[in-house]
Amino acid sequence: MVEDMRLIELKHVSKVFGGETHALNDVSLYIRKREFITLLGPSGCGKTTLLRIIGGFEYPTSGEVLFEGKDLLAIPAYKRRVNTVFQKYALFNHLNIYDNIAFGLKLRKMPADEIDRRVKRMLALVKMTGYEKRSVDAISGGQQQRIAIARALVNEPEVLLLDEPLGALDLKLRKEMQLELKSMQQELGITFIYVTHDQEEALTMSDTVAVMNAGRIQQIGDPKRIYDEPKNAFVADFIGESNILDGVMPRDEVVVFADTRFECVDKGFAPDERVDVVVRPEDIEITTPEMGMLRGTVHSVVFKGVHYEMMVDTGAFRFKVHSTAMHAVGSEVGLRVVPFNIHIMKKVTDE
Amino acid sequence: MKRSWFAGPYALWMILFTIAPLLFVVYYAFTNTQGAFSMASFLKAFDGQYLTILWRSLYLAFLCTVLCFIVGYPAAYFLASKDFSRSQTLLVLILLPMWMNFLLRTYAMMSILEDNGLLNQFLKNLGLNPISILGTQGAVLLGMVYNYVPFMILPIHTSLKKMDVRVIEAAQDLGASPVNVFRRVVFPLSIPGVISGVTMVFMPAVTTFAISRLLGSGMFLLYGDLIEKQFLELNNWNFGSSLSMIMMVLIIISIGLLNKADPKKEGSGVL
Amino acid sequence: MNKRSGGLFRFFKGTYLGLLLFFLYAPIVVMIVLSFNDAKSRARWGGFSFRWYLRLLERSDIMNALWVTVSIAVLATIVATILGTLAAIGTHAMKKGWANAMLNVAYLPMTTPDIVTGVSLMLMFVFVHMSPGYWTMLIAHIAFDTPYVLFSVMPKLQQMDPNLYEAALDLGCTPLRAVRKVILPEVMPGVVTGALLSFTMSLDDFVVSYFTSHTEKNLSMVIYSAARRGIEPSIYALSTIMFLVVLALLLIINRRSSLEEVS
Repeated sequence: MVEDMRLIELKHVSKVFGGETHALNDVSLYIRKREFITLLGPSGCGKTTLLRIIGGFEYPTSGEVLFEGKDLLAIPAYKRRVNTVFQKYALFNHLNIYDNIAFGLKLRKMPADEIDRRVKRMLALVKMTGYEKRSVDAISGGQQQRIAIARALVNEPEVLLLDEPLGALDLKLRKEMQLELKSMQQELGITFIYVTHDQEEALTMSDTVAVMNAGRIQQIGDPKRIYDEPKNAFVADFIGESNILDGVMPRDEVVVFADTRFECVDKGFAPDERVDVVVRPEDIEITTPEMGMLRGTVHSVVFKGVHYEMMVDTGAFRFKVHSTAMHAVGSEVGLRVVPFNIHIMKKVTDE
Repeated sequence: MKRSWFAGPYALWMILFTIAPLLFVVYYAFTNTQGAFSMASFLKAFDGQYLTILWRSLYLAFLCTVLCFIVGYPAAYFLASKDFSRSQTLLVLILLPMWMNFLLRTYAMMSILEDNGLLNQFLKNLGLNPISILGTQGAVLLGMVYNYVPFMILPIHTSLKKMDVRVIEAAQDLGASPVNVFRRVVFPLSIPGVISGVTMVFMPAVTTFAISRLLGSGMFLLYGDLIEKQFLELNNWNFGSSLSMIMMVLIIISIGLLNKADPKKEGSGVL
Repeated sequence: MNKRSGGLFRFFKGTYLGLLLFFLYAPIVVMIVLSFNDAKSRARWGGFSFRWYLRLLERSDIMNALWVTVSIAVLATIVATILGTLAAIGTHAMKKGWANAMLNVAYLPMTTPDIVTGVSLMLMFVFVHMSPGYWTMLIAHIAFDTPYVLFSVMPKLQQMDPNLYEAALDLGCTPLRAVRKVILPEVMPGVVTGALLSFTMSLDDFVVSYFTSHTEKNLSMVIYSAARRGIEPSIYALSTIMFLVVLALLLIINRRSSLEEVS
């Protein structure tokens, strides 16, 4: 279980590269013990920089990083109780699998039989028993991945940093490894900080997800909350395929978008405030034109395996709709959305 | 017409001007002046005086390789670090002499070392006694190191440069101090570069003949000088061919040994 | 390597590289400076002069060697470029076993010590009653130049889309035309690099020339015999010129390869 203790705390951390681009812009965040936290965002959003600062490979331009309340930045990378699983694994190809895993232990001058015991246990954990003497070049990507994880975990770090560790694997393997990583984390009780741009991965594995963009944390919270209540249009768009529209709220619980007035459940906005409206494709119901709140023409249909994805043109907006029933291109349909499924968000203003 | 026939002219050329000449060396090595089969010149190559020269060649080439490594590795390592904004320019400057005719370099070295050369002028101005360096083994060694050190630096630098920074970070991450990062990761990973550097220094060093002739004033015959003498002064082609064959065999053995030390063939060439 | 190191260590590194550069360049700089020294003695600066450069023009042996060096380099480069490019295209189309055999033999001159290459060719020339002179030197130069062309062109062929040639045949090209119109333009950068390398190698060669020509001397051979007699300021002048020419050639080659990296 995630404990309440704050293990790592970042306070107003900024990182500027080359004097101008803000890789991180005033990021504050805390990570609890035994938490599985994922930094999620598109490439260039600063997630890897954040991870590298915690790992000790990068130093912030300003701000503080604390580890158990003490300054982490004063400690060089090699003395931190943190280990990293690198993006392309960064295995030592001059060493065999056994020596790769034993690397950190040997540096700590651990007795040989103890090293042996631990390496064997790790190999068993990552299901690679019997591969000790193999060269790291002679195994598959998925296996290299496991060795990289074993090499980091064998040192029993307080925190494991994972930088898009599954990025190079194919879809099937990735799904398997996601489950394995999650169960390993629970078994070992180690804090995981996981970086990815894959929202599905983030949502299925994490206790906490921090969505990042342009060097800032856009939203942080548990996966369900982020999915159900995205705080702004960026998060909504990044987390799932969505219809994002400009809207206006004349008063509480009423919103106007696509030239139509809708009931909703949100309140607390200024009268006539301009807002972003998010409606997920699976929350739109297709009915007859007469029954619909909106009326439109089917513009295109694609079969997605389980459902059909249709683009429905209402004149004001082209809605993406998911439905198990197919409606032919050109046919006239009605669209309905229940108030609960209309998500209203404050407009993000770019500073 | 098949496209592979395009290689025909060069294949023929190689038979005539690569393979055939080498067979002539073998032929002369095992015959006498009358053209009859004979082991005499081969056996002569194992006489004490010639073995001494062989030994001296190997010893000097070995010393030269070691010195080039000691001087060259730190240079390659420093150049590969991020400390110098103009490291690319520095690298080009260090490698440039490599492309310069080795006789020019040796000639330049001669004019520094000779009895009334710059070095002795300098010593005289300091009020010290001039020293006679030219014609000593030290001069020959110095000339060899001067000529060959860039050949050691380049491949080592290449192997250090192409090293994945993440691997170094991974070592730090696993608890390796800067010294340990170097000892356990950087150096082992640069070994292919070291091996190709050693090859590129040792091979020409062991076969050179002009450097020793010019800087050693002909006092320190090396194996190359011995071969040259047989062909161009003494006209003893049979003995010269035997010596050449022995040298070839030595080279092949050393290349074999060095390849064994670098099984993945990651050594980086010059070109 | 990741982080910039501290001031003291950095200073040490800089000093080390500075000393190395001094070691490498002091003799060359001294030589260049002395080539402009009016006095014959190296111990005394007799004022700036082009005297030794002018003297070069009067030395018929040096002028002849210049002609030999340049003409051999040009001819050897032309022949080696044609031979090597064709060989690369042919080898690329061969079955793996044959291609490997071809490349291994081509690699031989690059691993054989120069002195052995020299004496082996000399033995053969004498055996077939070709007296070691201009033409034998030319053959020898072609022999050691061609592998450089072959190994410069090979990688370009390997990077090429294998369907390109077939596409040309498919569209009605004869094999010869396909090679000329499709393959050759694709590998051209490699051909030019190989040619430049050949030219540089040829200009620079001493050992092989020394054994394969006894009548005609190239510049390296002139320098060698002059050096054996002792030091002579006009050789400094010659060396300075040769150094500058090689420098210019290298700049051209480098510019080319950095352009290739960019594109």
